[in-house]
Amino acid sequence: MSEQDATTADMGPDPLIDADQRPTALLQVRDVTKVYGTGHTAVTALQTATMSVEQGEFVALVGPSGSGKTTLISIIGGLLAPTTGSVHIGDIDVTALSRKELTRFRAERVGFVFQSANLVPFLTARENLLYVAGLIGSSKSGARARADQLLEELGLADRAKNLPEQLSGGERQRVAIGRALMNDPDLVLVDEPTAALDTALGRQVVQLLGREVKDRGKTGIMVTHDLRMVEYTDRVFQILDGHLTHVESSTGAGH
Amino acid sequence: MQLALTEMRRAKLRFGLLTGAVSLLVFLVLLLTTLSGALVGALTGALEGLRTDGLAYSQTARDNISASRLPADTVDAVAAVSGVSAAAGIATLTTGAAVAGESLDVQVFGVALDGPGAPSGLQNGRLPTTDGEAAVDGSVSLGDVITLDPSGVQLTVVGLLRGAQFNAIPTAYTTLGTYDAIVRASFDNLPFVPINAVAFTVADDASISDVVAAIERAVPGVSAYSLADAVALIPGIESISQSFGILVGLTFIIGIVVIGFFFLILTVQKLKAFTLLRAIGTSSGRLALSVSLQIAIVVLLASVIAVALTFLAVQSLNTGLPVNLNVATIITTVLAVLVFSLLSGLLSVRRIVRLDPATAVGAR
Ligand SMILES: Nc1ncnc2c1ncn2[C@@H]1O[C@H](COP(=O)(O)OP(=O)(O)OP(=O)(O)O)[C@@H](O)[C@H]1O
Ligand SMILES: [Mg+2]
Repeated sequence: MSEQDATTADMGPDPLIDADQRPTALLQVRDVTKVYGTGHTAVTALQTATMSVEQGEFVALVGPSGSGKTTLISIIGGLLAPTTGSVHIGDIDVTALSRKELTRFRAERVGFVFQSANLVPFLTARENLLYVAGLIGSSKSGARARADQLLEELGLADRAKNLPEQLSGGERQRVAIGRALMNDPDLVLVDEPTAALDTALGRQVVQLLGREVKDRGKTGIMVTHDLRMVEYTDRVFQILDGHLTHVESSTGAGH
Repeated sequence: MQLALTEMRRAKLRFGLLTGAVSLLVFLVLLLTTLSGALVGALTGALEGLRTDGLAYSQTARDNISASRLPADTVDAVAAVSGVSAAAGIATLTTGAAVAGESLDVQVFGVALDGPGAPSGLQNGRLPTTDGEAAVDGSVSLGDVITLDPSGVQLTVVGLLRGAQFNAIPTAYTTLGTYDAIVRASFDNLPFVPINAVAFTVADDASISDVVAAIERAVPGVSAYSLADAVALIPGIESISQSFGILVGLTFIIGIVVIGFFFLILTVQKLKAFTLLRAIGTSSGRLALSVSLQIAIVVLLASVIAVALTFLAVQSLNTGLPVNLNVATIITTVLAVLVFSLLSGLLSVRRIVRLDPATAVGAR
């Protein structure tokens, strides 16, 4: 299966698939502050957050509700502009990209699993995956093979032709994970996939995420409340009230 | 563009209803355009269809052929003007008539059937060649005999015309001799029967405006017009055309605005999906194209239905008018609806371009 996968990747014209030539600290977040609103209603969601994640690293981001987790990964994924500070992916300064460049950046380099409303409602599970491949002009046959393989690995082979409304919440999140991996992005950002992971299959899905990140030299960040999942990640970052801190090695953290 | 088509396939009911609603709007515009064209045509058709370059009336007629009275020798005076290649008299009156026991009103035209002023629009049969024959635009058949009332003169229908009505009543084109007979049947000791107008054609090397001016200079008491001017100056025709223009125009504008709103509602309903599509890297241009494609498909499908409805309506509505489906008018109308619908689709496009993809994240 993974040979076929690699063939698909080789066919892509995109230089970012060429993993060997990247600098190792793929993601660098420097002094990022995010303030929502102005004046009396201003909310500081992130306070001078700094982190760096290596290529091939899969890290967890934990913290209570409202602490700024979604805000941080949205800024990293080029969806939200920080108030101050910078984000670099490889040698790209994400905070300096234009609106148009950001759209391309998201399509080519970021795989995002959102906290909710993840799938295009009028496309089937398989079509949701194929759609993002179409955005970067991947070959049709290669995209089909990769979509089928991902759906298979995510335990969704028999749900491929179902519309999102015909899927359970967990299945929907797994489809979204498949879509996030579809374009072989540099960055995989997963926001609270609790429902998807809430089963034995869930552990396999996290393992799949971890493996994709390692084997293909991506950078993965997973927001989670579920400390059992932390054991599949390399490191843990914690946010408390907008302050980001690095927690020591996560190995065995769940026990 | 696959996205737009897949969505339409998955939401057949929604897009079906939308297409139905749009087709009714286009139908309304097409039907109004067709009917108003038919009505104006029925008012002007008789004059418009005359085979002539220009017409001369008496000055006192104030642009109205029915009010014009000229002595028959005016024809020779007009023919003598330089630049005029041929001239012939036209005489007309409205009279009662009966065909196969049915009574009706007829506008009788006495014309020179082989000279300027002969009618056009022959659908069937031939133009009259001798007295007592007529070519008719009305609900009669070849061979019918029309008995005029009160003159008692009988006209045999030898030709059927289309688009040659006058003031929205049927017309019968006959010889000037027959016309004389009709008038003399009621007024038997007239010294001469006046004509209403002189039709004239212009020599190849002369211009119609020069000839019109020359006739007015040379023949006293006469006003001359090019055929187009004579038609445009038919009393009341301008305000009637304008009123219909406003009616059709307003219907068109309302239709376009409603179509624009329909798609805006669809867009607003789908904002969540659009936001997600933006967040995963779809450009707003691509989404705008996708919406425009859907508008184009809906409007074109709706237009096909609307043309069919118009066709059925024209067949089954009996307005007493000779209604013609004009292909050029239909194509122009459909294209205009398409172009303006796409413009009104900019309302939706603007909404899409303004979307903030960041709102796709989080639990909100
Ligand atoms: N668009 C916004 N406008 C104003 N305030 C916002 C906005 N988005 C988030 N916030 C605020 O910023 C803070 C951080 O929000 P964020 O969504 O990043 O939290 P989170 O850690 O993802 O929480 P959860 O675990 O509940 O998803 C919260 O106080 C939230 O109310
Ligand atoms: Mg969140």
